[in-house]
Amino acid sequence: MYKYRAQLTKGDEIRYISHLDYAGVMERAIRRAKLPAAYTEGFNPHLKMSFASPLSLGVTSDAEYMDFELTKPLCQPEIFDKLSAALPPGIKLIKLKPVKEPKPCEGKKHKALMAEVEQGIYEVVAPLIGDWDAAVKAVEKYNSAHEVNYHRVTPKKTRDIEVKQYMLEPVKIGMSGEWVKLTMNISITQTGSIKPAEILELLHTEYGLPVALGRALINRSKLMGQGKDLIDLV
Amino acid sequence: MIKLEPEILQAVEKPARYTGHELNAVHKDWDGVDCHFALAMADTYEVGMSNLGLKILYEVLNNRQDTACERVYAPWTDMEAIMRDKSIPLFSLESFTEIRKFDFLGFTLQYEMIYSNILNMLDLAGIPIWAKNRSEKDPFILGGGPTVYNTEPIADFFDFFVLGEGEEVITEVAEAFVKWKKDGKPGGRKGFLKEAAKLEGIYVPSFYEVKYNEKGYFSSITPKEPEAKAKIFKRVIKDLDRVHFVEKPVMPYIGIVHDRIMLELFRGCTRGCRFCQAGTSYRPIRERSREYLRGLARKLVDSSGYNEMSLTSLSSADYSCLGELVDDLFSDFEGEKVSFSLPSLRIDSFSIDLAHKMQQVRKSGLTFAPEAGTQRLRDVINKGVTEENLMTAVEAAFKQGWKQVKLYFMMGLPTETDEDIVGIARLAEKVARKYKEVKGKWGVTVTISVSCFVPKPHTPFQWFGQLPKDEFERRQRLLKDSITERAVKFHYHDARVSVLEGAISRGDRRISKVIYQAWTDGAKFDGWTDLFKEDVWHEAFRKCGIDMKEYSERTRDFGEPLPWEHTTPGVSKEFLKREWDKAIAEQLTEDCRRGKCSGCGVCPSLKVDIVDWKRREGEVKASV
Repeated sequence: MYKYRAQLTKGDEIRYISHLDYAGVMERAIRRAKLPAAYTEGFNPHLKMSFASPLSLGVTSDAEYMDFELTKPLCQPEIFDKLSAALPPGIKLIKLKPVKEPKPCEGKKHKALMAEVEQGIYEVVAPLIGDWDAAVKAVEKYNSAHEVNYHRVTPKKTRDIEVKQYMLEPVKIGMSGEWVKLTMNISITQTGSIKPAEILELLHTEYGLPVALGRALINRSKLMGQGKDLIDLV
Repeated sequence: MIKLEPEILQAVEKPARYTGHELNAVHKDWDGVDCHFALAMADTYEVGMSNLGLKILYEVLNNRQDTACERVYAPWTDMEAIMRDKSIPLFSLESFTEIRKFDFLGFTLQYEMIYSNILNMLDLAGIPIWAKNRSEKDPFILGGGPTVYNTEPIADFFDFFVLGEGEEVITEVAEAFVKWKKDGKPGGRKGFLKEAAKLEGIYVPSFYEVKYNEKGYFSSITPKEPEAKAKIFKRVIKDLDRVHFVEKPVMPYIGIVHDRIMLELFRGCTRGCRFCQAGTSYRPIRERSREYLRGLARKLVDSSGYNEMSLTSLSSADYSCLGELVDDLFSDFEGEKVSFSLPSLRIDSFSIDLAHKMQQVRKSGLTFAPEAGTQRLRDVINKGVTEENLMTAVEAAFKQGWKQVKLYFMMGLPTETDEDIVGIARLAEKVARKYKEVKGKWGVTVTISVSCFVPKPHTPFQWFGQLPKDEFERRQRLLKDSITERAVKFHYHDARVSVLEGAISRGDRRISKVIYQAWTDGAKFDGWTDLFKEDVWHEAFRKCGIDMKEYSERTRDFGEPLPWEHTTPGVSKEFLKREWDKAIAEQLTEDCRRGKCSGCGVCPSLKVDIVDWKRREGEVKASV
């Protein structure tokens, strides 16, 4: 088997499809591309593919990662062109690299894509509906707090999460036209993380960030492990 | 152009229903075409996107240089509430244009229980609900599809209807429109409708006068305009190899009801089941050739990326070259991991062997439709299936490893007695015991699904009075109590919905008032059990002074004029009456595709022939 890693986008056109739907869309794209894809064994064969960290509904991304396997080694430009041509609106292939499996004598196999993820960088834009200075102050106050709790309610359970443990850097604030632009560098661990939308909600409700929450747009710009983009880890 | 804010899309269930941009969707420059066509289904995105007819017409219309065709479906209740609150009009999924800016809005009429949703969509679009109130700036509202053989209950809401198969006539409509527009729209709205009425298969309800007799029954419908025909026959495609079929289906980003390729093998079914409206309305049988289907299958897999293909038709196992076609497809797609399925099975071992071959992977369950519990009643409905056929078929299935069987039945058929109801339970139990006999152990599930019979126009049972709701419910209880075997599971339809469907499906124009009233009072998504409001409908009938039972339960007189006879699929009334008499006499009628012509009248009146590849081969051999 020959494994490849792709860096893909999730554009505005498809920001409202779920992670599972995104995977289904990619499976059909690989089939349309007529690549010699490898399938799982068994009664209900599936393409051998895996994804990094799932995105929340409504979030776009420049850094979606997918590993997939082929039964024949094709050269990178051929795969890149065929897959690019088969993608639907809203998904673009940015980079593609073969995953070098360590030789058997070297011992351990390549880590699963999901397990390599340690860090995500997000850009959040939202219309300013008040004073710019107040916005800056709200972010400063949040950044200087030692402990911040978020009360997460899901259909199954509710729990309190300490947010600051996941903040790798202070939230940065900037301005672009009438829009406030926030950059969040968030740690993603095997045991948990915090979502950028949740941080935005806290900034707005607890720290008084004067933005129109309902019109906020979130984009994941990077997904990293060991301080590098996931595409550079293979 | 309508732009939905994130806060709206974040607030609704499945927002991708409203965001478009799917692969293979066609986007044209609005000002670059003369004709703007919106195709609609008054149901959710997932249901609408699964409809084969809409997929075909979407491509047929978009293949025209002068026409842009876009899609629209009914917003779910959560989205509707937001749209009403924020005054967002109904919009299309390609260019996000307001629906009222289109030239045409075409609804597929899949079943009676979506009529209230049609009114709701018109209202959301800001288009007057009654056709007579529409002005020059409104789109023409048209309808077509299975319920088009009695459009009287919704006639006052539509500008025109398209009877029968749409591939050819829809382009004639677009052509007529473009010409009328280029000529400076002579005669205004009515001027175009006159042009449309000249086309075969087009029914313009406002061009007719309806009369009722002293008893209040429908007595006549007569043309008021010279272009209007006294009788409108359905359109039919003579050669299905020479008409456009779906090649690049719009690929949804989210799961839909039929999330797979649909390869349509043939149209029509002449087995002649007497309750079946599809059986009379899609006549005659016309098969696509094996070669053509192979080519289509290749194109569809390449353009969609789907790994599942359903070989669809009214009774797919009747395709004359099915075995060969399946072999072709298996070899064409070897190594591509495409799985094939048949939506319906005939009750015989040929079907079982084929299903076994096709479902190498998942043995999910087999479905058969004996329709009635006793041989006597199966003869009444001309089902042509014996208990022995069923036992042979399930025996073969159990030997091949299936352990789930679903059996479809109907309740309330003409001449039905309690013995027939109990017969359903006995038959299901025999199937369950057959498993024990074959396998030497228990472990089978036999699910019986029993619907309430709704007599339909243009069938031999069109005169028959439907059972009252209470009687359906009594028979459901009787059946439930008759089941003694634990392996048998019982599902039944909601009789409340079936009797309403019974009233509407044989209704006349006066029923429009009721539909309007029910919609005004909150009826919508009536086909969705949890949203069906029985009280609203009963109250609507009462408010309009119409007795629902006059429509559902009254047995019509054979000599009585019926409100749907002027819009016909081509089967003659004499044939239907003959079939009724044979039903009462418990006599069978053979399938005309190979056997004797039953004289239904379709082939001569529509100038069309049966296309049956096996029969043709036989004829060729015989002539050599």
